[in-house]
Amino acid sequence: MAYLSMGESHRRITDYLNRFADAINYQDGDSLARLFSVSSDSPSLLSLADALNVFQDANRLIKQSEKFSQFGEVVAPFFRSLQCYRLGNLVDAYGAFEKASNAFIQEFRNWESGWALEALYVIAYEIRVLAERADRELASNGKSPEKLKGAGSFLMKVFGVLAGSCDLQGKGPKRVGALYVTCQLFKIYFKLGTVNLCRSVIRSIETARIFDFEEFPIRDKVTYMYYTGRLEVLNENFPAADQKLSYALTHCCLSKEANIRMILKYLIPVKLSIGILPKKQLLENYDLVEYNNIVEALKRGDLRLLRSALQENEDQFLRSGVYLVLEKLELQVYQRLLKKIYIIQKQKDPSKAHQVKLEVIVKALKWLEIEMDLDEVECIVAILIYKNLMKGYFAHKSKVVVLSKQDPFPKLNGKPVAS
Amino acid sequence: MERNNHRRHQVRPFSSSSTTTSSSSGAGSRGDFGALRESDWRSRRQSTASSKTQKPKPKMEAEGGEKEDGLSEIPAVIGTCPFMCPEGERAQRERLRDLAVFERLHGNPGKTSPSLAVKKFCRTISAKEGQASDIRPLPVLEETLSYLLTLLDSTNNSFEALHDFIFDRTRSIRQDLSMQNIANKKAIYMYEKMVWQVKFHVISHLKLRPHSNKSTTSSIHYLNMEQLTKALTSLYNLYDVNHEDSNSVHENEAEFRSFFVLLHLDSRNQPTGGSLALWFRRLPRSIIQSTEMCFARGVLQSFRLGNYKHFLSTIAAEASYLQYCILEPYVNQVRMFALSCINSVGYKLHPYPLARLSNILIMKESDVELLCNACGLEMCMDEAGNKLLPTKQTSFTTPKDSQCYPVLGLERFEMEY
Repeated sequence: MAYLSMGESHRRITDYLNRFADAINYQDGDSLARLFSVSSDSPSLLSLADALNVFQDANRLIKQSEKFSQFGEVVAPFFRSLQCYRLGNLVDAYGAFEKASNAFIQEFRNWESGWALEALYVIAYEIRVLAERADRELASNGKSPEKLKGAGSFLMKVFGVLAGSCDLQGKGPKRVGALYVTCQLFKIYFKLGTVNLCRSVIRSIETARIFDFEEFPIRDKVTYMYYTGRLEVLNENFPAADQKLSYALTHCCLSKEANIRMILKYLIPVKLSIGILPKKQLLENYDLVEYNNIVEALKRGDLRLLRSALQENEDQFLRSGVYLVLEKLELQVYQRLLKKIYIIQKQKDPSKAHQVKLEVIVKALKWLEIEMDLDEVECIVAILIYKNLMKGYFAHKSKVVVLSKQDPFPKLNGKPVAS
Repeated sequence: MERNNHRRHQVRPFSSSSTTTSSSSGAGSRGDFGALRESDWRSRRQSTASSKTQKPKPKMEAEGGEKEDGLSEIPAVIGTCPFMCPEGERAQRERLRDLAVFERLHGNPGKTSPSLAVKKFCRTISAKEGQASDIRPLPVLEETLSYLLTLLDSTNNSFEALHDFIFDRTRSIRQDLSMQNIANKKAIYMYEKMVWQVKFHVISHLKLRPHSNKSTTSSIHYLNMEQLTKALTSLYNLYDVNHEDSNSVHENEAEFRSFFVLLHLDSRNQPTGGSLALWFRRLPRSIIQSTEMCFARGVLQSFRLGNYKHFLSTIAAEASYLQYCILEPYVNQVRMFALSCINSVGYKLHPYPLARLSNILIMKESDVELLCNACGLEMCMDEAGNKLLPTKQTSFTTPKDSQCYPVLGLERFEMEY
């Protein structure tokens, strides 16, 4: 690091303090926001951090002038946080940043309009990101990671501030920020695995009269629907998951390809579960090739392909949480296999096509290198009929499944398989 | 944690061998409550330091976070209580005649002894009760657990009373472990023992001894499952904290992790954190690929697909005793589902032979008949005298309280345990 003089450090710090005070006095939300983004590693903040570490007594500067000291409660811990961040001490950086944020929120409450929302967004984002990094540091030192959990509690408080804000007319220009904070909370809860905590904030957003969903910024609505859609996938509630993830997809800006990919990653298993197959082109365009073979298996009734596709991408599917959903597609694959047998039989002898010997199914499975005895085949046939994937009955004495002459393989038509 | 409490009791009223972590037996001041000599202190410090892992002591829960059983914000202490029950509590409960049957000296409800009294679980800990002298250190907890387990073999008293007692007292053990932030391998062994011996011994008692009061049985069972899940979650935290690296796995970990899957087979009964899918996300690869976990996942899939044949035959062939104990209520559920399925889908003119049902459901024929009757299904007979189940009966109902019939081939469990 090049030598930094005391004079230069002093200049940088005062420069920042001036910008900070000006941003607040002129209600310049965008400028204020930029002043808080620690983790962005912006050159100006990094150079400020270096200056702080050299100067060491920034508090004196803050107290020197009324212009700066009125924001001392925010700026002093923020400076500490920036210094720690620069020195690689993430745990302390987080702690100080939370202190600064707390002080900021107290000020924010008193400001009338929503001019400072951009800054609030940055703070909410930084709280989460710094907490994540602090936890990584704790874990690597053999300590219990707890900062992200604390960040969640802090953001809940922020949510409360936004929800409770309103001006004299009873409307709240700050309320529109609540969805962004909600999305940060979702990210935290998903990372921690404590998604049950999402419930209370979802309830507030969706049922409280103070919130009008349509008034929130589109970007936040898409993120919100993405996460709530994912929750529905985890609960295997497919119609709701379809609705939410589709909303996110249709409202997502087309240029945000990475986001579209993330939405599709969860929407595709949902669509597959209700009998809708994506085009191969879609999978290629968004690099979701792990679903290729699964779609193929469903088209062909190829149980072996489904199983091998699941095994090949087991890690990935388990990590994204869609493995259990994809596993259940077996029933639809069986349905397709039986339908193919039926079609082949129809071509040979239409009058007898609706009777399928269980032995034939065993043979078909054998060709797919799957060993299954008659009992289990009968069981599968029974379940398919029971769940309305097939219409008919089985006659166990003749070891035959008799299919209905009309519509023996009802389509799912956008509804999930009966459970 | 600061070792500022020098007064370590050496008196062991109920066991002859001293199992403290200190290796120096002669230098210890047995029964001496005065300050220890400087040399004693140093040697003890060294021996305890070497018996623990070298890296910073793993913590079970973050400070200020929720510990198991609702404790929060209490800094970790080192317990010094040498008895299974702190003296103060023992005296108080004698006065109040608040002694469990197993704690009574010669059946006297107002008298107990240090070898019988066991510390009770306490929902709220006051500052007084959080004192070191009321908390039992690890060796005492190990001995307490061993003592409790010997009680499991007693056949004198009512099963419900025994169950309640063990249930409560092991919960207290877990509480003491948690308050001292004991999160090392010894804690793991204790939790595994508690899960294994207590929970499953209790469940198997439930199985082997029919009880007249069905509702008590099912509520005991439900409570058991709830407590079991809690204990398992704490155990998993211990495993996580004790992994030396991302690939290491404790010796019994795969089996104990598989229990979690089996407890949540039904998607309506999801774990409190979210869903089973989320839980899988965080499992180490070696656990996911273990035999025990593959078994559990296979059973999970069969259950959720409704593939009763595969579900039942896999359990009969591969389940360990403990896995079977958890799966038992599901076995019952699946069998009833199978009957419902066969009844509604089978050809009316081909009644289903009892012998085949017995094969598929892996039950004795006589048990199949009993189950059918319980579900409102009637059997018929053919000319050769074989029993059959006519299908398309409209009288099928799922009985509320159904007994679980044994799975053929698993009698080996009954004999071993």
